[in-house]
Amino acid sequence: MLNKRNRVIAKVITYVLLILFSIYTMFPFVWMLISSFKPKTEIRTATPSFTIDAPTLENFHRVLFDAGFVNYIKNSLIVSVTACVISMIIAVLAGYALSRFYKLKVVKVSNLAMMLSQMIPGVLLLVPLYMIMQMLGILESYRSLILAYTTFVIPLCTFMMSSFFDTVPTALEEAAEIDGCNRAQTLTKVIIPLSIPSLVSTGLYAFINAWNEFMYGYIFISTDTYRTLTPAIMLFKGANTIDWGALMAGSVVAVIPVTFIFLFLQRYFLAGLMAGSVKG
Amino acid sequence: MKPSRKLTRDQRKFRTALIMLAPALIFLALMIAFPLGKVIHDAFTHVHLINKSMTGFAGLENFKTVIEDEHFMEAVQHTVLWTVFSVLGEYVVGMITAVLLNQKFKGRAVFRTFIFIPWLVPIIVAGMTWDWILNPEFGILNYVLKNLGIIETSINFLGNSDYALATVIFVNIWRSFPYYTISFLSAMQSIPGDLSEAAAIDGAGVFRRFFSVTLPQLRSVSLVIVFIHIIWTAVNFDFIWVMTEGGPNYATETLPIMIYRYSMRTFDVGAASALSTMMFTVMVILFIFYYRKRTQISEDMA
Repeated sequence: MLNKRNRVIAKVITYVLLILFSIYTMFPFVWMLISSFKPKTEIRTATPSFTIDAPTLENFHRVLFDAGFVNYIKNSLIVSVTACVISMIIAVLAGYALSRFYKLKVVKVSNLAMMLSQMIPGVLLLVPLYMIMQMLGILESYRSLILAYTTFVIPLCTFMMSSFFDTVPTALEEAAEIDGCNRAQTLTKVIIPLSIPSLVSTGLYAFINAWNEFMYGYIFISTDTYRTLTPAIMLFKGANTIDWGALMAGSVVAVIPVTFIFLFLQRYFLAGLMAGSVKG
Repeated sequence: MKPSRKLTRDQRKFRTALIMLAPALIFLALMIAFPLGKVIHDAFTHVHLINKSMTGFAGLENFKTVIEDEHFMEAVQHTVLWTVFSVLGEYVVGMITAVLLNQKFKGRAVFRTFIFIPWLVPIIVAGMTWDWILNPEFGILNYVLKNLGIIETSINFLGNSDYALATVIFVNIWRSFPYYTISFLSAMQSIPGDLSEAAAIDGAGVFRRFFSVTLPQLRSVSLVIVFIHIIWTAVNFDFIWVMTEGGPNYATETLPIMIYRYSMRTFDVGAASALSTMMFTVMVILFIFYYRKRTQISEDMA
């Protein structure tokens, strides 16, 4: 009897605490969303409220069209999708080698090299990378960002793929080999179709990483033509009087793809991320 | 005949492995190893981003520039405070939420999603949204606190040097703790349930069970996560830049902000590289310490 009552109390405490934590984590999003639909008069007031008297889309209109965010979104998409595709190809190849040829010395050394690269933070390489991009003449272009974003996700993406390949029995490949497939055919016809879930989570990680990145986008690109979304938000704020409504509308736009991806593909994403990070 | 055939098979394996690893290795060599070498080289050289005529061996002069910078000691202090309190806060909140989510109840998946979401948003968005919430004139937080009678006049959380660093740490914890939650959660799910049950039968309460059964099992995942986050936090540029740009009056300037200031404001690549090299050295020392501790833990467990 007492035991049962304790369990009920424990459950109530759990719910109460989780609701409090959820308010803590979700409140900024709710407030962002509310603010993005508020007209200027309701934004610039000392008595803000949770309800909107005259909801409007003017903030979205201002930020998307007047401030040119449509172009920044396009740039972010181009850079993120390209970086994502390149990193997936590289990670599949390297991950497969890491998983299947782990006894070879060259593989062991590469594994170590990737673990170490993962630890080296981007900001310490900021200056030389800037100078390299300058030397290559690709500072004001998508290419500089694609190169940087690809490089920094290669280690984790490779570990994610290789820990998946570890679970694929080699008997499958041997069977394909007996049927006359060479390595490349085995990989494309047998292994890749099996690894779609892992590919999805690896790709998501690479995409989100590139979509969210701020520092390189802020430093490598200084013209509007190639500017990506995250630095654009920062620069938009820097304008004389801060247009909070439009800023929140821009933030809503920036979190849409990430939230969407996460809500629908959460399972893939978390499982893959954990597999990679435990190994790395 | 046989041994030579076997050799070619091994050679073929080697060739395949090398071809498959090549793209990754080329990227890492050109974009990480080479720049790293360049940073260390430039730390001892006169280099200026605009004035290309500045060249030559500098000895330790760049390091001297950094150490004699009037804001250097302050920045070191800020970096330590920023890192220690961020990681501590993230660890505690991450642990509590993981323990809560590691039970069976209705709506668990929904709560897990709610709690994980901050980790996915761009840092710039996290920074801007909190900036807006904390705004002294129109912000909701000041309004609520004033209504509840907790404060009398608005606090300029990010614009007042007494509050700025603490505020940025708070927002960083908000954005970063979910990673701890998910990691602890997946580690907890691999702890055999009968361990905790046995302790419960022996009469151990909830807290006792947590400290003597669960926590020791999380030693190795804790070590990995704390180490990674110490590095990630200490070198984080985005958060502070987005919220305060190191201000007001250098109150939130950390070492990565200084690197940015040297390279992109005064164009002194030599000094920026010297500072990067110093940070890198500290990281290597931390890594050696971490590596030893990790070996020790895995030996204990074996």
